Amino acid sequence: MAIDQKHLDLINADIDGEIRDSDRRELRAFLAESVEGRALHEELASLCSTLDAVDAIDPPPHMRHVIMSSMKPARTKPESPGFFQKIFAIPALTHSVTFAAGIFLTLSLLHSGQISTGAFDDVTGLVGTIADPIDAEVLGAVAFDKPEVAGKVALRRSGAMLILDMDLVAVRPIEVEADYTDRTIWFNGFAQLESSGTKISAETGRIRLGMDGKRRFAVYLQNKGGRETTVKLRFLAGGKVVHEASLDYMPTR
Amino acid sequence: MSKTDDTNLIERCVGGDRKAIETLLVKYEKPVFNAAFRMLDSRDDAMDVTQTVFLKVFENIDHYDPSRRFFSWIYRITLNESINWLGKAKRLQPLKHEAVDEGRSLEQEVDSANLSKGVQAALMAINTDYRTVIVLKHFLGCSYGEIGEILEIPDKTVKSRLYSARQQLKDVLTQSGIH
Repeated sequence: MAIDQKHLDLINADIDGEIRDSDRRELRAFLAESVEGRALHEELASLCSTLDAVDAIDPPPHMRHVIMSSMKPARTKPESPGFFQKIFAIPALTHSVTFAAGIFLTLSLLHSGQISTGAFDDVTGLVGTIADPIDAEVLGAVAFDKPEVAGKVALRRSGAMLILDMDLVAVRPIEVEADYTDRTIWFNGFAQLESSGTKISAETGRIRLGMDGKRRFAVYLQNKGGRETTVKLRFLAGGKVVHEASLDYMPTR
Repeated sequence: MSKTDDTNLIERCVGGDRKAIETLLVKYEKPVFNAAFRMLDSRDDAMDVTQTVFLKVFENIDHYDPSRRFFSWIYRITLNESINWLGKAKRLQPLKHEAVDEGRSLEQEVDSANLSKGVQAALMAINTDYRTVIVLKHFLGCSYGEIGEILEIPDKTVKSRLYSARQQLKDVLTQSGIH
């Protein structure tokens, strides 16, 4: 005998703890008479206890920090857009200005042994936007989620340029070291998106970056010879290595 | 889910109080993340959706309707964002990351992980409307009335949808030997 809708509702309400006392008495009487009713009640109770036994999962430890870092400061009163805001609302200009700001910050913060070699004379690679290099082929990427640092690093190639594209968040100041094995490859530039405060230094075969909070930036390496190389990444917090990874560039013959 | 506490925090958020924003974030990040994870079956996607949800909530907090309960607003945004995410044509493969609770034995951890994976696989096998009510009922602990408020459907529809969802879920779990 099929169970009518009213008793189906009562069975479900009982399982879900939403039954009224008067209805509970009626349900008891029904279950005492109905084999199908008892079977369904038992079946649903068992299913619900299976579902309720599944543990809640913890969000990634850095998620709160990422969200708070992404939050724009609240405005105290509505503002109408000014001349510069209207101009910079044009995406191409926004990217250009962001990129220019990145280069300016780089040059103001950077101390490099390569300056004397003339590496910075060549800025032909410093075009486009770090957010999504249009022609850059992704050679490899690593993602990680450590208590001190989390995020993704991708190695891209665009012509003779290798691009280390980093999207990181750190809960306290960290250092990132990128060692590249081929000494004919040299540091060609750095850009960052909507942030400041990243410190960078370059020497032959190694780039060092200092950062805190949420940062999106790109390091440009000139690889004119198209040489095979491995970029070894080390992430240090308080002088201790907290994560290591490597990315390879293997030219197609 | 206290309305008074949330209302007070929201008023402070509207005034730009970052401490209040963080308090709301601490209170709701876990249920929002869990709801997104159960809808999407990917920690990475769930994190992206959670981030989007909170940014949307805090960017629009001055448009929040105080006659509604805050949790129903944020859960509705979470489910809508998750459903939108599911509809995206191009998605990256999820990076699975299984956290281990050090306070429990490995055996308990394995049993719990297997149950969680089995239930998750079954959830992904049922349709989105049914998955939504199961997530609200069993993973967010909402009552019929709260589910109705979040989904803007009558209680009667909540009950029938929940019943059908459980029937489908039971069949899938039985087939997979979990239930």
